[in-house]
Amino acid sequence: MNIVIRPSWLLMMAIAVVLASTLAFLYAKTNEHDPSASFESLALLRQVKQLDAQWELNVLKSKIGINQDYDPLVEPLTALQAQWDRLETLVNLRAWSDSPDWLRGREAYLEALGEKTELIERFKSHNAVLRNSLAFLPIAENDIHTPLRQIGGSDRPEQMAVAADLYDTVLSTMEYAQTTSSDKAAEVEASLGRLAAGKALLPLDLQATLDILMAHVRTILREQSLVNGLVERIGAVPMAARLDDIHRIIDQTQLQSAERDLLYHQFVLLFSAVLAGLLLYVGGRLIRSYAVINRVNKKLQEANDGLEQRVQQRTRELRETQSELVATARQAGMAEIATNVLHNVGNVLNSVNVSADLISRRVRTSKVQGLAKAVQLINEHAADLGDFISRDEKGKLLPGYLNQLVEALAAEQQGIAEELEHLTKSVDHIKEIVATQQSYAGTPSLLEAVRVTDLLEDALRMNAGALQRHQVTVIKDFSEVPPLLLDKHRLLLILVNLISNAKQALSAQGNRAHALTLSVRLLDESNLRICVQDDGEGIAAENLTRIFAHGFTTRKDGHGFGLHSCALAAMEMEGRLTAHSDGPGQGATFALELPAHAVPGRS
Amino acid sequence: MERVATGLFREAWPGRSQLSVAGLSCVLALPFGLAAQVGAAPLDEPIKPIPMVQELDPARTELGRRLFQDVRLSANDSVSCASCHQLASGGADQRAFSRGFSGRQALVNTPTVLNAGFNFRQFWDGRAGSLEAQIDAVIENPVEMGSTWQDVIDKVTAAPHYRTAFAAAYPDGVTQANIENAIATFERSLTTPNSRFDQYLRGDADALSAEEKAGYLKFKQYGCIACHQGVNIGGNMFQKFGVMGDYFQARGNPSEADLGRFRVTGDEADKNVFKVPSLRNVALTAPYFHDATAKTLEEAVDVMFKYQLGRVASEADMQSIIKFLETLTGERAGPQP
Repeated sequence: MNIVIRPSWLLMMAIAVVLASTLAFLYAKTNEHDPSASFESLALLRQVKQLDAQWELNVLKSKIGINQDYDPLVEPLTALQAQWDRLETLVNLRAWSDSPDWLRGREAYLEALGEKTELIERFKSHNAVLRNSLAFLPIAENDIHTPLRQIGGSDRPEQMAVAADLYDTVLSTMEYAQTTSSDKAAEVEASLGRLAAGKALLPLDLQATLDILMAHVRTILREQSLVNGLVERIGAVPMAARLDDIHRIIDQTQLQSAERDLLYHQFVLLFSAVLAGLLLYVGGRLIRSYAVINRVNKKLQEANDGLEQRVQQRTRELRETQSELVATARQAGMAEIATNVLHNVGNVLNSVNVSADLISRRVRTSKVQGLAKAVQLINEHAADLGDFISRDEKGKLLPGYLNQLVEALAAEQQGIAEELEHLTKSVDHIKEIVATQQSYAGTPSLLEAVRVTDLLEDALRMNAGALQRHQVTVIKDFSEVPPLLLDKHRLLLILVNLISNAKQALSAQGNRAHALTLSVRLLDESNLRICVQDDGEGIAAENLTRIFAHGFTTRKDGHGFGLHSCALAAMEMEGRLTAHSDGPGQGATFALELPAHAVPGRS
Repeated sequence: MERVATGLFREAWPGRSQLSVAGLSCVLALPFGLAAQVGAAPLDEPIKPIPMVQELDPARTELGRRLFQDVRLSANDSVSCASCHQLASGGADQRAFSRGFSGRQALVNTPTVLNAGFNFRQFWDGRAGSLEAQIDAVIENPVEMGSTWQDVIDKVTAAPHYRTAFAAAYPDGVTQANIENAIATFERSLTTPNSRFDQYLRGDADALSAEEKAGYLKFKQYGCIACHQGVNIGGNMFQKFGVMGDYFQARGNPSEADLGRFRVTGDEADKNVFKVPSLRNVALTAPYFHDATAKTLEEAVDVMFKYQLGRVASEADMQSIIKFLETLTGERAGPQP
């Protein structure tokens, strides 16, 4: 079977796909907004900012010598970078990670961080040198003053002046370290100049020490301004501002994201409304299509009903036609019945013929002619009758002859009378057959008390001549059967037919002794069974089913009507006639089963 | 707890859970060490002791230990990290200049790998911001290992035991980042805690002799402490070599390597600027300086005085300072058991 995908199906599938993907898209969009990530980013950002402040604070602490080591200037950077990395990881998960705002902000921050890192590196280097020199300055001064005092330098005014310059230099350098200004620098430079001028007045070893001190003063002069400048620049690095920018960007994106989220929620709402509307529409369509289906169903039902009515009407018509046909068949049946009657009448006429023939032969060979001769003889000898009778040879025989003749005539009369009785019976039968034909023509069968055995005897007698001719031994297996209410003539007709049929089956077997068995028994209280069994030619199996059909015969001169009419008659008597044979040459049994109605008033 | 555990802490480095060892040491130390430690507060000094406890992934550390000693990292399977960073002798090279895979000499003296994790940047010129970056630079350095990452990854992947170890230690198996991380993790485990000086810092006044304590005092007084401070006694800043005198002119024979950080930044101010090296285990890591010119601590201290401090110290003070420097040798810095 081919599944044909109709365009409307494709369209519906496409619509379903579009709706589903829209829903999925909107769902994903509404889920995209996760404020917690933004909040975490902001928290990280605040930590970065805090670390930055701490870093800067540590710079100041190092500058004024509170921090003894520079690890506090390394560690915040490490922590800061770690937090920043976390922040970037977090941001990279966000949809806006490639937004120009963020990229710009990130770039600016990293630039500031790089700048600050570098400045702080420089600060560390210079501050270390500066602080070393500053720490050394009093020691250096002491390194010169102590030997000066020891060698009695206070007695020599030149050396005193150098010592004073030294104080001056150290003091102004200290001042310079506190309040770095060009004035102070100039002052230090000036005192350094004086020191350099007076250096020659000192002993040689002290001159070297003074060189060292002056080198450190110059270092301070150089490094202090550098350190100050660096600290200033470090403070000026817009790290905080950059972080604030990023804060703003994240805030903004968070806000935008929230707005977008709101928008998408509205979209989802709208979409849901559309979907709901669609559902309602589809529901409406469904209800409508149900209504249509119902209507169609109803129409179908109505059509069906109409059809049924028409079928009934047709059936009725058919039945009527059938009745007509039956009537026609009945007419045909009448003809058939007529044939039947004629056939039966023919059968009986056979008996009539036989009887008439017998009678006529008896009459022809009647001893009455002997009587006539005797009377003629008497007439001839009327004159001498006595003499004739007493003397004449012939005359003497005459009385004896007459006596014999009387006996013979009496016997003859009796035989003729008997034959006439048979004749009468046959004629009666014919009369009854004809009367039976009336019953076919509508008259119900006439039930009368019948002794079945008597009927069988009658039937046998009707076929007696033929049975004798064919040397058929009739075996009568009659059980005690009470008189029953039966259609006598139909039954007789059947029996005559069956016996005649059997006789013909036997005669076909040639000249040998044949046996015909007739049996009668009550199967139960209301069923009678009569069997006519012969050991004749039998019936072929294929013929068993058609043997009762009209026109079926195996005989040359048969009509195919006898058994057919028997079966019909049996049916009309509400009984049935069946045939059984073990095959050709095995004989045949015809069984007639009839409902047996006991004669009322008899037990 | 750390402080209590100090006295009995003995442990070889690789691949052990330091936490549990520390915990065990603590239990063992309690009855013996507690009385002696009572009242001894840690000193507030510019130098901080090395932490006793490490929190590192044992599997990665062990993997890094194997890689550290694996010559397959070099182009011709001739040198490993350990060839130049000899763990048995201070984590540095006894040679003035290490020789790379092809026998060529490096331009600078090999700095120690011990406590390198405490350095704020790596290399003399500080060009690597992390140990990982340092490893990357060495692997592909044409003089040092001369390899390529693809080769290294292929060789490491070819070894089944590495494959399984990497698969166990890293979700994504053998990658450049994971090789770097494994070696760096191992290197971070190469700390030398509990030197006598650290014990002193932690409050054990008897850990140093009077001479050594005097040496520390001199170390501070002369201003060495200005640069060599913090947990690694250096390693947290850059400094110009020759801030108080022109070292390179005095030494002569200036080389490209002498430019130091200038080679990284190109900034005039960074000429002759180097990372201040750590002084931990300094007694073990001769020769000294990037140019390996100082064969002994005396020479090194002398140069420092002259060109960094601009000071003149007496021979006694110098010796005193050297005595102090020798107390900076920590555990696990010498030959491994």
